[in-house]
Amino acid sequence: MTKPSIGDLLAGVASSLREAVLPEIPAGPTRRQIQVAISIIRRASQAWDKVGPYFYADNKDIEETLRHVSALMDRAKSDDAGLKLLGQKMLTALDRRSGAELEYPSPAALSARNVQLQGLLVELQEALHAPSARDFAERTEILGMLRALFRRMLARELEVNAPVTATK
Amino acid sequence: MNATPPEAAQDLERRLKAFLAARLDGARDIHIANLAPITAGNARQTWEFEARWVGGEGERKVGCVMLRKAEAGQLETDLAPEFRTVRALWDSGVPVARALWIDEEGIWLERPSFIMEKVAGTTDLLPLLKPEGAALSRAIAQQLVVVAARLHTLDWRKLGVDFLPFATPETAAAQQVSYWRALFLKHRMEPHPVMVAAFVWLREHQPITRRISIVHGDFRLGNVLYEEDRINAMLDWEMVHLGDPVEDIAWAYRSLWGPQTFPLDEFVSRYTELSGIQVDPATLLFYRLLGEVKHSIISLTGARSFMDGRTRNLFLADRASTITAYLQQFLDWLPA
Repeated sequence: MTKPSIGDLLAGVASSLREAVLPEIPAGPTRRQIQVAISIIRRASQAWDKVGPYFYADNKDIEETLRHVSALMDRAKSDDAGLKLLGQKMLTALDRRSGAELEYPSPAALSARNVQLQGLLVELQEALHAPSARDFAERTEILGMLRALFRRMLARELEVNAPVTATK
Repeated sequence: MNATPPEAAQDLERRLKAFLAARLDGARDIHIANLAPITAGNARQTWEFEARWVGGEGERKVGCVMLRKAEAGQLETDLAPEFRTVRALWDSGVPVARALWIDEEGIWLERPSFIMEKVAGTTDLLPLLKPEGAALSRAIAQQLVVVAARLHTLDWRKLGVDFLPFATPETAAAQQVSYWRALFLKHRMEPHPVMVAAFVWLREHQPITRRISIVHGDFRLGNVLYEEDRINAMLDWEMVHLGDPVEDIAWAYRSLWGPQTFPLDEFVSRYTELSGIQVDPATLLFYRLLGEVKHSIISLTGARSFMDGRTRNLFLADRASTITAYLQQFLDWLPA
């Protein structure tokens, strides 16, 4: 792809706006809005090239965790119909080719897959916290696996998604 | 959130005159002067002006601050409970601005708005965060604990704030969890399993409060109006509700803005001494965890308002990117 990359381009735009445009704008609400816009463009420039690898790694991690969870659920042979159904649904989703398994999936395909996997994680939690699942033998172990996964997901996202502002 | 064009300010001035004429019985020669937007705050539009009129007591001049509901923002609150609470708190020992007039429906002022008497001071947080401002920060935080103790020991029934949703010791925490969860479900832009996990934990660990108090809801250094080393008013009562007083302490000590110069344990010890309210560590932890989620939802709501085109305020555009750090803090504080 012809240089500059999108990330480089956005970084250059942010610098030009900050160095050449901002000094011409008088203090006030408009200037503050421009300052925020520059910060967002700068953040986007830093995140741009990392988005694809981030989604790839995140999806892989979630898929691997869900496979472990499926195996545990299968091994436990729970009588809970909801858990059984969810276990099947997870396996189907993990086996389904969504485009994200291609050798070079697009960021859009990876993002769509990520949302799908997030949905499974939500369903899994709801099933594990349903009254009927309270006695499920593997419940504590699975919840521990999920908490560890969530920590990894947040750490991974923070590497890409460092905020430009953190004030209320 | 554009710069205010002169014609918009002129229109607002006309509206203010008509509004005050309707509110001030028998007043004449009403003048509005020095009308200007105050720039602090993302949630609402704030203006200041001076109102002058001639009434039965002769000529009056009042410095005013007007809060106007924004088109959309990071909170979904009505102005009326805030206005009525601030009015009820006047002369209660809790420092507040005098609440003057409200246009609840925005009939006169275009948007729901209320007007308070201007109080001297600043809300600038930066001097309190700088190393050289440590003494000032500690002095303000020491008064903050006095304000908290006073607010939380007021008899809210006698104060007449029963327009705030009723809460019992058993329901106070659950009501907050439900409120913020409903906003999460309304505004989320993806399934968000970590947030779901956070709500599950909060739902399963709701404490029973020891007393029901008026809870400011946004109780922190950034909402203090101070002058030199004295607190003149607590601002931004838009999240006020009846609930567990510990919620305010937890919010005041979020890692993002807690006063480092006056550590939490010192605050709690002084608070108990002043108020007689014991702060249960498990309850405090619950509300600190709720605080991280609450701020996440506030950010999410702001980001969603921007993405839906309901606001053009760029301060809100990227707010969702802050959520990751808040949730990481949540997991860090979560008991094993």
